[in-house]
Amino acid sequence: MALRNLLRNPRRTLAVILTVAIGTGSLFIYHGFNTGILRQYRENIIHARYGHGQINTKGYRDHIFEKPWEHWISDYRTLESQLSVLPEVKHIFPRVEFFGLMSNGRINVSGKGQGVKGELEAKFFNQLNIIEGKNLDQTPDGILLGKGLAHALNVHAGDRVTVISNTVHGSMNAGDFTVSGVFHTGVKEFDDVYFRIQIEQAHQLLDTQKIESIAIGLKSFEAWGDFQKIIENKFPNLEATAFAVLDKVNYQHSVDWLNSQFAVTQLIILAIVILGIFNTISISILERKQEIGNLRANGESLSEVMVLLGTEGLALGICGAVLGIMGALAFNSLFLEKGILMPPAPGITKQEYVLIQFQPLMAGLVFVLGTFCVVLGTVCASYKIIRMPIAEALRSV
Amino acid sequence: MRFLYEIENLKFSYQLGFQKVEALRGVSLKIPHSSFVGLCGPSGSGKTTLLSLLGLIENIQDGSILYNGKSIRELSEENKNELRKYDLGFVFQTFNLSPVLRAEENVEYFLFRQGVPVKERRDRVRLALEQVGLWEHRKKKPLEMSGGQRQRVAIARALAKNPKVIIADEPTASLDQKTGREIMEIFKKLCRYHDVSILLSTHDPMAQSYADHIFDLSDGEILGERKKEIVHDSPDFLDSFFEVVGG
Repeated sequence: MALRNLLRNPRRTLAVILTVAIGTGSLFIYHGFNTGILRQYRENIIHARYGHGQINTKGYRDHIFEKPWEHWISDYRTLESQLSVLPEVKHIFPRVEFFGLMSNGRINVSGKGQGVKGELEAKFFNQLNIIEGKNLDQTPDGILLGKGLAHALNVHAGDRVTVISNTVHGSMNAGDFTVSGVFHTGVKEFDDVYFRIQIEQAHQLLDTQKIESIAIGLKSFEAWGDFQKIIENKFPNLEATAFAVLDKVNYQHSVDWLNSQFAVTQLIILAIVILGIFNTISISILERKQEIGNLRANGESLSEVMVLLGTEGLALGICGAVLGIMGALAFNSLFLEKGILMPPAPGITKQEYVLIQFQPLMAGLVFVLGTFCVVLGTVCASYKIIRMPIAEALRSV
Repeated sequence: MRFLYEIENLKFSYQLGFQKVEALRGVSLKIPHSSFVGLCGPSGSGKTTLLSLLGLIENIQDGSILYNGKSIRELSEENKNELRKYDLGFVFQTFNLSPVLRAEENVEYFLFRQGVPVKERRDRVRLALEQVGLWEHRKKKPLEMSGGQRQRVAIARALAKNPKVIIADEPTASLDQKTGREIMEIFKKLCRYHDVSILLSTHDPMAQSYADHIFDLSDGEILGERKKEIVHDSPDFLDSFFEVVGG
């Protein structure tokens, strides 16, 4: 009877189903959008500087050493081959960091250098915004300068720069490089001091074959936990640190802040959705006063009427929630396939298309929520009506 | 003699805005079994209130009503539901049909709720609709029918339940004279040949002419009672229906 009632009263049924569908669909899309933003932001950060994380010798990041290179990783090639066979690992980026004095022949500026595998890193760290020239890639004597550093030295792509640094033995050493490009991360402190050269050049300059750290690119973000356990178990002298910890102030704080903001907005949307559903249900029940009175007059008990209305509510809720979820999926594939163009995220300089990332768990949650709201709304709205004196309900228009 | 209803000093009032309206001011009357009773009087005389109390769709405030010797006041809500479900059938001025159901579904619905088996349900629906001359229109929804047809569906719905009492509140008020007369004929035959008590409120003289007992109400009080000699004429068209329902 409940289902027949729904089918035979298409206007009322459609109004409730559409309200539930729009409500659940909106929540589903909003959550998918939030997930998309956070996932995009995470991927941007991973592909900007740190990879999925970094390996150092144990305790290296917690201390300041007079001679840090004494605590660097020796024989990194063996370690590299051991890491490369791990199923989670896709990319291995050995790195060294050092201080150096840079000169263009007229101006001297101090900076912080990174020795990296230029070609490998250029492919993976695609979020580095090259504003002039090109990435470090294969150029053996290339140097990639931060925007502020290039400006201070007044050099451009193709210009020559000399880097003077101490070797690990304490003597001075120097190397000549050609500016391959200028990068811009948006973080002034980084752009004003950092430069990148090939790791082989850095080893020559520092006169060592050790590396300070290994940035890791995994097959997926989710594999980090397993990878970290393997490092702990197989390499007791090393420790793996996730990018979120390495970039806590920039990334983790932004994520926490965004999550809180999303949660508040989601609550507001939820409140509007619940009120909308309650309102539509209440109107729909109020329209049925006489019908309910008629049911009661013909011997239906309060609980029988409530079960009938509740069953209708349940059916409406299920239909509305399913339609909302399907509608959101269809809307996404029809109109948002490319994503939504968003302004640069914190710490990123590029605009990005954010894809709506639907979560099966959220589909389940909005389904339950939509259905529950309709049933609860039906029960609440019906509670007073079915308790009306039958004669009064019958007189209602 | 046992009565279907024994009403003693029944009072009922309700609030209309800031005003307290005394709808019934100590009504006492007795209604025999299988009688055709008309409650007559002008608007506001208390007819509908009295019918509502007799139909258990309004709660008694003061006074008492015995139904088949049992006090309605002492009935549990469950017992009242049972009586409304099995003993009482309602026909309202405004028909109160479910607009989303077809005529046959409107008639069938309460049988379904009573747990009547499918086959018997269908037979009773068919016969009830045939008795009121609407079998051909069984697929129509109320909005596709005339006022007279809708009232016939309402009667068929009440009839299909095989009730002991049909309570009809101004059943002819929305109908033309000819249709009203047809409706009253159905009631009369139900009462005469199948022991169904008919309690109806009306201020239509034509409808009043069909009742065997008439109670005249005014301002919530019984002004008088009129009785008519019952003449048993030919039992005819409802017999087949009552054979099916075991009446």
